[in-house]
Amino acid sequence: MAEEKKGRAVATSTAASIPKFVRGNLSATLKAKEEGKKVAAAFIADGQDEIMRAMDIVPAWGESFSGVCAAKRDAEKYLQKAESDNFSRSLCTYATCNIGFDMMREELGHAPEGAPWGGMARPDMMLGNGQLLCDPRFKWPQATQHYQQDVPVFVTNMYYPPWDPSGDHHEVEALYVKYAKEELHETVKFCEKITGKKMDWDRLAATVELSDKTWDLFIDTYELRKHHPTPMDTGDAMNTMVPLTFNLGTQEAYDFYVSLKAELEQKIKDGVGVANPEKYRVIWAAGLPSWFALGDFQYFNGKGVVFPVEVTYRGCEKVERLDLPKTNDPLEHIAWRWVRYWTHWYDAAKKRPGSTPKVERIIEYIEDYDCDGAVFHSAFSCRSWHAGIMQQAATLKKVYKDIPILIMEGDIVDISSYNEADTHNRIDAFIETLAAYKAKKG
Amino acid sequence: MDYFAGVDIGSTMTKVVIVSGRIESSLIGPTGPEHRKLANRVMEEALGQARLSFDDLTYIVATGYGRINVPFADRQITEITCHAKGLQSLLPSVKTVIDVGGQDSKGIKILNGKVMNFVMNDKCAAGTGRFLEIIADSLGVPLDKIGEISLTAEKIAPVSSTCTVFAEAEIISRLATGEPIANLIAGIHDAVATRIASMVKKLNVEPDIAVTGGGAKNIGLVKALGSKFGRELLVPPEPLITGALGAALMGKDIYEKYAAEGQKPTRIGKKLEEATFFK
Repeated sequence: MAEEKKGRAVATSTAASIPKFVRGNLSATLKAKEEGKKVAAAFIADGQDEIMRAMDIVPAWGESFSGVCAAKRDAEKYLQKAESDNFSRSLCTYATCNIGFDMMREELGHAPEGAPWGGMARPDMMLGNGQLLCDPRFKWPQATQHYQQDVPVFVTNMYYPPWDPSGDHHEVEALYVKYAKEELHETVKFCEKITGKKMDWDRLAATVELSDKTWDLFIDTYELRKHHPTPMDTGDAMNTMVPLTFNLGTQEAYDFYVSLKAELEQKIKDGVGVANPEKYRVIWAAGLPSWFALGDFQYFNGKGVVFPVEVTYRGCEKVERLDLPKTNDPLEHIAWRWVRYWTHWYDAAKKRPGSTPKVERIIEYIEDYDCDGAVFHSAFSCRSWHAGIMQQAATLKKVYKDIPILIMEGDIVDISSYNEADTHNRIDAFIETLAAYKAKKG
Repeated sequence: MDYFAGVDIGSTMTKVVIVSGRIESSLIGPTGPEHRKLANRVMEEALGQARLSFDDLTYIVATGYGRINVPFADRQITEITCHAKGLQSLLPSVKTVIDVGGQDSKGIKILNGKVMNFVMNDKCAAGTGRFLEIIADSLGVPLDKIGEISLTAEKIAPVSSTCTVFAEAEIISRLATGEPIANLIAGIHDAVATRIASMVKKLNVEPDIAVTGGGAKNIGLVKALGSKFGRELLVPPEPLITGALGAALMGKDIYEKYAAEGQKPTRIGKKLEEATFFK
């Protein structure tokens, strides 16, 4: 009577089209020159997507490229190259992988041979953002500019009111929005200078409108995962986030979620879940995944554990829930959307002493998606996310006494941090804890 | 009479416990790269000690790092759960377990024999038995003596390095400056205890606290850990077999649960043979 190992029942077939998106984004950078387009090294969730799309600027997503290198387990040579110039492994490995690649490309005069999917083109500009999400967004462009000194860098500062339980963020939101709007206007001016083209404001407005529609559709789609059994898992979401995260403001991104939503609705209708049987539902509560070990999600699924929801790469909300002031200025709209995305958990957090917006978000999802436990991934080189995980876990324990929490340790790109046997051992122990918790709850 | 066996294959030692209403036999043998595929031989010895045959066993649970290499087991359960179960039977008052193994260390919060939470260090040798093993080797002191030697120290010589390799280098250079070995060994125990305590304290530690694993056989480490938690720590009579005992008891629980539902599991087709994993 050996324990039966059950395989993952189903992954979404819509997610199978994601490699085409990722590869398409990389090859767009390589084709840009012959198409007369400019390439901008850019960062996700920086509020600049629509500006680039409306000006036909091709984004070169360094985070995506490093993730691809990691997923193909082919990042080590780039990490070592960066390390040879004293970039520590404890720095963001998205950054160091990409900087190592840039260093090699500059030395060779072309993308290094064997670079995943042909690599990324040399940018014509770099758009950073000194916002509160993470420090590489302004230090990374500065660092890589040492090797590409002729490539201009423009770093905006898109701040949002920092969390202060004793203050009223509503009083200062408009000030932050005004500042963010000015920064976005400066970004447009910079892009106009580099491209030699003027912004088509009507086109920008249409692009922003399409983005809003995509945000709404994304949430409508993902909320289908509340269903028991859940039709889609975080393992898939780490792929299906691509159109929202890297192709926002494009029709292809919107169309992708139309297809995904239809597929999830059909799965619900057919009673098809990710795991069969679905024993435990847990939230991916924080952290970027180890891109070289996405198979771990299937390991969970094979044991009846599903992730109906994740905090990671859910960088949007239903626009109406953000209660944005009406404006005809698309940049002001982006600024409001940006600020409110971060602050709309503040009021809930204030009601729970000792809580924070990040914790409130997790609690909201645990309730809405009916989760039995939480998994955090502490990726050592992602300092901005690593910091605070223990506090979040401790607050969850206060709210949901004894809720099982697993804190996985690894990295996003650096595979030397990973040991599959030990990781699976921790997962097994966590699942046994879930069983005890559920039995106790009755 | 029903007999239940627990097989705990740790990174350093393999442990087998057979229980019925009491512990019928317990055996501890080295794991090692070749021994790991020979869990069957340790089991044979344990069966011999209990005067039983393999067919007398009703249910077998494998646990520990190498639990997948036990083809004759009916079920695999992690050592976290098995330690909790084993501890509950030996020291029922314990609510927090610190397990110091050869390759990792763990903190386990338990309630009525169930795991409520756990933390693990499996990333770094510092804070595990391996750290003490390496330092003992570099000092030329037998591993089983370092605990007692640390108690003879005049003072704790602080060891600043948190990395095993660098700590070894630091120890050698401190020896050259005339620092007594006992002080250095006390320093090393303090360093390991500090590291383990900072990890375990994430668990909202509640007494009683017990230490298990090979580290519990080191009186110096147990005392150093006790000082970090401000209380005396409990040690079961044979701290190495807690996991295997828990595995055997888990097997008993599982079997009885099945039996109560009228689904007695059979062991037909199970043979006491080595794992073919390495072939």
